[in-house]
Amino acid sequence: MVVLEAEVRDEPKALPAEADETGRAKHEEARSPVRWVLLGVLLVVMIVPIYLLVVNAFKSQQDILDNPFSIPLGGLTFEHMSAAIHSPQFNVIGGYGFTLFLVVLVDVLCILLAGPAAYAIARSLKRRTQLVLLYFLAGTFIPGAAVIIPVIYVLREIGLANTVTGLVAHDVASTLPVSIFLFVGFIRTIPVDIDHAATIDGAGRFRTFWSIIFPLMRPAVVTVLILNSIGIWNDFVSPQILLSPSSGHYTVTTAIYAGISQYSTDLTKVFPNLLLAIAPVVIFFIYMQRHIISGLTVGAVKG
Amino acid sequence: MVELAGLNAGTGQRRRARLKESAVSLGMIGPAVLLYTVMTVVPVGVAVYLSLTDWDGFSTAVFIGLDNYKHLFDDPSSSDAWYVTALIAVAGTVLMVGLGLVYALALKGRSRTNSFFRAVAYFPHVISALILGYLWAAILGTNGAINNTLAKFGIEPLGFLFDEQFALISLIAVIVWAGFGFNVVLFVAALQTVPAELLEAAAIDGASRRQINLRIVIPMIAPVVTVATVLNLVGLIRAYDIVVSLTGGGPAGSTQTFTYLILARSFEGTKVGYATAQAVFLMVVSAALALLVTALRNRQDQAATGQ
Repeated sequence: MVVLEAEVRDEPKALPAEADETGRAKHEEARSPVRWVLLGVLLVVMIVPIYLLVVNAFKSQQDILDNPFSIPLGGLTFEHMSAAIHSPQFNVIGGYGFTLFLVVLVDVLCILLAGPAAYAIARSLKRRTQLVLLYFLAGTFIPGAAVIIPVIYVLREIGLANTVTGLVAHDVASTLPVSIFLFVGFIRTIPVDIDHAATIDGAGRFRTFWSIIFPLMRPAVVTVLILNSIGIWNDFVSPQILLSPSSGHYTVTTAIYAGISQYSTDLTKVFPNLLLAIAPVVIFFIYMQRHIISGLTVGAVKG
Repeated sequence: MVELAGLNAGTGQRRRARLKESAVSLGMIGPAVLLYTVMTVVPVGVAVYLSLTDWDGFSTAVFIGLDNYKHLFDDPSSSDAWYVTALIAVAGTVLMVGLGLVYALALKGRSRTNSFFRAVAYFPHVISALILGYLWAAILGTNGAINNTLAKFGIEPLGFLFDEQFALISLIAVIVWAGFGFNVVLFVAALQTVPAELLEAAAIDGASRRQINLRIVIPMIAPVVTVATVLNLVGLIRAYDIVVSLTGGGPAGSTQTFTYLILARSFEGTKVGYATAQAVFLMVVSAALALLVTALRNRQDQAATGQ
């Protein structure tokens, strides 16, 4: 860290002469050795763990232990990956299904609840309504994992303890603050005249929202969907604690937790399962990179 | 007279319309408020209530006032957890913001190469911290990739995860590895809004690249740096998943964070009341941190515009 900073500070010494010509300065920047050292370190440090994950998912325990970094061309095997895919216990592939189900259900319910609420808040001039927004925003201060025990207490009182409904209710509630906040901000940029026109044409407020305003909110909806989907997909504490193992439902993270805490020394189980757990997210990321990066950034900063 | 009646009818209609308007608003906001209240706000209330009791998770809770709060720091494992949490939050934030700035300055240009490297720095942010922790445990562990490779050259294994101090450093390093890319992206977005003319003008005036970065660019993106600092601090003070998978709080409890301790205590099923007192305290601290840093920032902004 200290070394890296020092290197950056060294960089300008060679530059001032060219600095008055932006074009040449840019070329200089691209060729600067310090920059390439920085980027080289970045590439190695970020990619090597993933390389190890991929390579070792297809090796035998002995090969993993003896030569973790190598690719034994003769010794690669699909055996352990296949075992992980077909494993009857803590099956990650099985976890995909339940996790995806959770993600879709939470996404849909969140939009159904947050959309109209944000619309009513954004279009109201009353102080009372603005207080509702603050009320939701306060939720972002609550450390979810630390107060998960009281959530169990509440779920028990309303008879939803250890049920998928209870987990979904909790997850949807946890997505509401940021989603509503982002929606309110976006709806306020849509001219009110559009609403008035719809009202004159005889549309009620729900109708105005769902058929006129909602289609215009596409960028905000995409942001919220990405933010919530990745959040729910990666969530560990809520499914682990709100759904006990006896419920028989595993998400990808709780399946990995159950499996790896049991077989942590068997690397032929660790690597293939971790690869299966990471693969969908990484593929989704590569495919939707731009949307994801901007979505998560906007969500975090504004939330 | 007729006119007055008409006026009255008008206000009546308007009142009715306003009432209907309010009812519709309630219909739109109500469901969200209800669910959020029951699932998020009520649990916080329950936490505050339980923190004032000696509840063990099963029997009836007995009200004991502020007793749990008095003992918040008495017991050694919770003061250790505070030290670990504070160290992770502060060191992690400094490193992530620092590395974020360095790499953002190197990658701010709008080229394909830069956007590739930004994605490389960023990708762990979309993967579950739990899974990243297991991956790093397989790399740094006693039988991990690094120690097995060292063993081939006859070098003693390094205690990345089994030496108490080393484990804490490893934990922070993995957290930084997973999280600094987010800061890079945040800062690049801010850097791209800094007007190019400003930098050219400074260059013409003979400022070096280092002076431009330190005196112009970084001050201009200072508000974003503050936001990033708050986000990192508030996020790290809640660190849990990665602790579970990377170190399991060990060795000998040396990497237990506050959230880890709260959940571990809760599931021992003896001191739920005490654990919720700690959770309430954590909540207050994270809210206070966020408000404090934002307030400091506002004051700085005011001072800057006052000049």
